[in-house]
Amino acid sequence: MNITLSNLSKTFGEKVAVDINQFEISSGQILGLVGNNGAGKSTLFRLMLDLIKPDSGRVLMGTTDVSQGEEWKDWTGAYIDDSFLIDYLTPDEYFAFIAKVSGITSEQRNAFLEKFSHFMAGELTGQKKLIRNLSAGNKQKVGIVAAMMLQPKILILDEPFNFLDPSSQSAIKRLIVQYNQESGATILISSHNLQHTVDISTRIALLENGHIIRDIEGGDSHAMATLEEYFQLHE
Amino acid sequence: MPMKKYALYKLLKQNNNLRNLRHPMFERNKFMKFLGWFMFLYYAALLIFLGVALGLGMGEHGIAAFHYLDGGLPIIIIIDFWVRFILQETPAQTVRPYRLLPISRSFLMNVYLVSSGFSLGNLFWWFMLVPFGIISVMPLLGWGGLAGWLLGWWMLCVANGFAYLFIRSLCMKHLAWAALPALVHGIWVALMVLPKHNLLDMPCTELMYGFALWNPLPYLLGMLLVAASYWANYKLQLQITYEDVAQKEEVEMKTARDFSFFNRFGTLGEYLKMEMKLRLRNKQVRTQFFVGLGLMLFFTGMMYFTDVYDNTFMKSFICLYEYIILGLMTLVGIMCFEGNYIDGLMSRRESIYDLLCAKYYFNSIILLVPFLTVLPLTIIGKISIWMNLGYLFFTIGVIYPCIFQLAVYNKESIPLNQKLIGKQGNMMQQIVAIAALVLPLGIERISVLLVGPVWGYAPLVLLGIVGLYTHKLWLRNIYNRFMKRRYLLMDGFRNSRKS
Repeated sequence: MNITLSNLSKTFGEKVAVDINQFEISSGQILGLVGNNGAGKSTLFRLMLDLIKPDSGRVLMGTTDVSQGEEWKDWTGAYIDDSFLIDYLTPDEYFAFIAKVSGITSEQRNAFLEKFSHFMAGELTGQKKLIRNLSAGNKQKVGIVAAMMLQPKILILDEPFNFLDPSSQSAIKRLIVQYNQESGATILISSHNLQHTVDISTRIALLENGHIIRDIEGGDSHAMATLEEYFQLHE
Repeated sequence: MPMKKYALYKLLKQNNNLRNLRHPMFERNKFMKFLGWFMFLYYAALLIFLGVALGLGMGEHGIAAFHYLDGGLPIIIIIDFWVRFILQETPAQTVRPYRLLPISRSFLMNVYLVSSGFSLGNLFWWFMLVPFGIISVMPLLGWGGLAGWLLGWWMLCVANGFAYLFIRSLCMKHLAWAALPALVHGIWVALMVLPKHNLLDMPCTELMYGFALWNPLPYLLGMLLVAASYWANYKLQLQITYEDVAQKEEVEMKTARDFSFFNRFGTLGEYLKMEMKLRLRNKQVRTQFFVGLGLMLFFTGMMYFTDVYDNTFMKSFICLYEYIILGLMTLVGIMCFEGNYIDGLMSRRESIYDLLCAKYYFNSIILLVPFLTVLPLTIIGKISIWMNLGYLFFTIGVIYPCIFQLAVYNKESIPLNQKLIGKQGNMMQQIVAIAALVLPLGIERISVLLVGPVWGYAPLVLLGIVGLYTHKLWLRNIYNRFMKRRYLLMDGFRNSRKS
C-alpha cells in the first residue's frame, strides 16, 4: 500500500520537528529512515500513525487520510516505544489480546508465534512474567512481534534494533525482509544502525531537522558510502 | 571536597520542594493549586474558629476547660493519623532519586525523617490549640504553661506522624497493615465510649497537664515515643530502600490468572479481562479499588450495626454513598491509568469505545455487591427496597454516564504502581464528584416529599433504566468526543507520563 506525505509539518515551539513538502513511499518498499537524534524520525512516525496533530498537511495510506478515520488501523502495525505495551499483562496475554481484538484466531496466532520462536528465544511465551518485568530487549521484542502479528499492509517500527542482542538483531532483519517478500507490505523502519538499515532497506531517507535531505536507493555500497559521508564516520 | 552535611541537608530539602512544585501533574494544574490553598485556608480558619469557640465555651469551667480538650486527645490523634494518608509521602519514595549518588543512605533517611518531624504539617493543629490555649491555658498557667502545653501537643503529633510513616510504608507492602492502626484506634474509641466513664480521659488530661506544668515525666514519655517511632521508621524505611534497589519485587507471578470466563464475550471480554488485571496487578489501582470496596462494605456495616443513622435522610445518604463511593474513587480518574499505554490503544480501531463499554459493564456489575448486602436490610424493613433499587439504577443509569464524561477531559496519566500524594484531580473531576453526591439526594428528597416514600424513588429508577437502556448511545457519544479531542488528550497523557 502506498503512503503519501503532503505538505506535512510539525513544530514544537521554535523547533521544526517535521517539514516535508511531498514524499511518496510505494507499496512493497522497505524504507529506512536515518538521522541524528532530534532529526524528527519518531515525530514523523507519530504523525503517520495519527498520534500527534500536524501543524499542516496530511498523511495518506492508500487513499485514506489517517486523521479522518480509523479503518487504516486494521492494516497498519506499529511499535514506537513501550507506551504501546500494556505492561501488566504477560507476553502471552498481550499477544492473545492483540490477536483477539484484531480478529486473529488462536490457531493463526500460535502459527505466527511459532515462526517467531527463534527471535523470542524462549524468553517471552510460556512465562509468568509481566511485560513490565522484562528486560528492555525483551519488551522491544514483544512490541515488534505484536505489531507484525496483524499481518499488516503497512508496518512501522521505530528503532527496532535497539536493546536487542546481535543474534536477535540478525533474526529480526531476516524476519522483516521475509515478511516484506511474502506479503508485499510497505515497511518503514528508523535506525541508528546504518549497516542494518542498508542491509534491509530498498530505499533510505535521510532526515535532518525535520527535512528529508537525501533520498537514497538502498541495498548497495553506494548507499552505505553516502550515509558514512553524511555521518562523517570516516575522517 | 565533600559538601558539609548541613549544606547537603539544605540542598536535599530544596530538591524535594522543587520536586513537588515542578511535578508535571501539579505544575500544569492551576485549579488544584488554587484548591490546595483554598482548602488549607478553609481548614485553618475552621480550626481557629473551633479553638476560640471551645475556649470561650468552656471558659466558665476554669482549669477543667483545657482538660476537656485534653480528654479528646485520642480523637485528635486518630483524625491526624488518617488525614495523613491523603497528604503525606513516605521517605522511601523521596530518597529514590538519590540512591545511586555518593550520599550515605542513612544520611538521606535521617534528612527526610528529621524534615518530616520538623514539618510544618505537625503544627497544623496549633491553629486550634493556640487560640484555645490563649483563652483557657494561659490565664491559669501563664505563658510558660501555654508553651509547655503546646510543645506537648506538638511532640505527640510528631510521634503520630512517624507512626503514620511506619504504617504507610507497611501498607505499601500489603494493604492489610492498615488493619493495625484501625484496631488500635478502635480499641481507643471502645475504651472511651463503651464504659460508663471514659477510661482514657484521666491519663490524657494528666499527661497534657504535666506538659503544661513542665513536669519532666511527660516530656520523657513524649521524647521516648518520638525516639522509638523515629528509630522504628529509620530501620523500616532503610530496609524498604534496599529492597527497592535490589528490586525484590516478585518478578514472576505464582499464577497468571487469565479470567477465561470472559472469553465468551469476544472482543469485549478481552477488555473486561484487562479491567480485572488492571485492578489486580497494579499496586496503585488495586489499593484504590479495594479501599473503595472496603468503604462500600463499611457503609453497609454502619446500616447493619448502628441505629445512629436511622433517620430517613441519613439512611438515604448512607445508602447512596454505598453505591457511588467505589465509582467516585475509581472512575473520576477514568482513562488516567490507560494514559500509560494510550499510544497502543489508539493504534487499534475503536479500542477506546470497547474499553469504555468494558469499564461500564464492570462497574455496573460490581454494584451487585451493595445491592445484595443491603437486601437483608430491606427484608427486615430497615431500608426500603425502593430506595435500594432507586440508587442502584440511578447510579448505573445517571451517575455513571455523568462520571464517564470525564473520559473526554481527563488527560493526566496516573502511574499504575506509584502512589501520588495530593497531586491528582482537576476542576472537572471535583465538579462531577460533588454533583454525584448532591444530585441524587436532591432528586430523592424532592420526589419523596411530593409523592411519598414508595413512589418517590420511581424517578430514580426510571431515569436509571433510561440511562442503562441507552448506554451504547451515550458511550458512543463520549467516544466520538474523545476522538475529536484525541491530540490534546494524548499530548497530556504523554507529558504527564514520566514523572
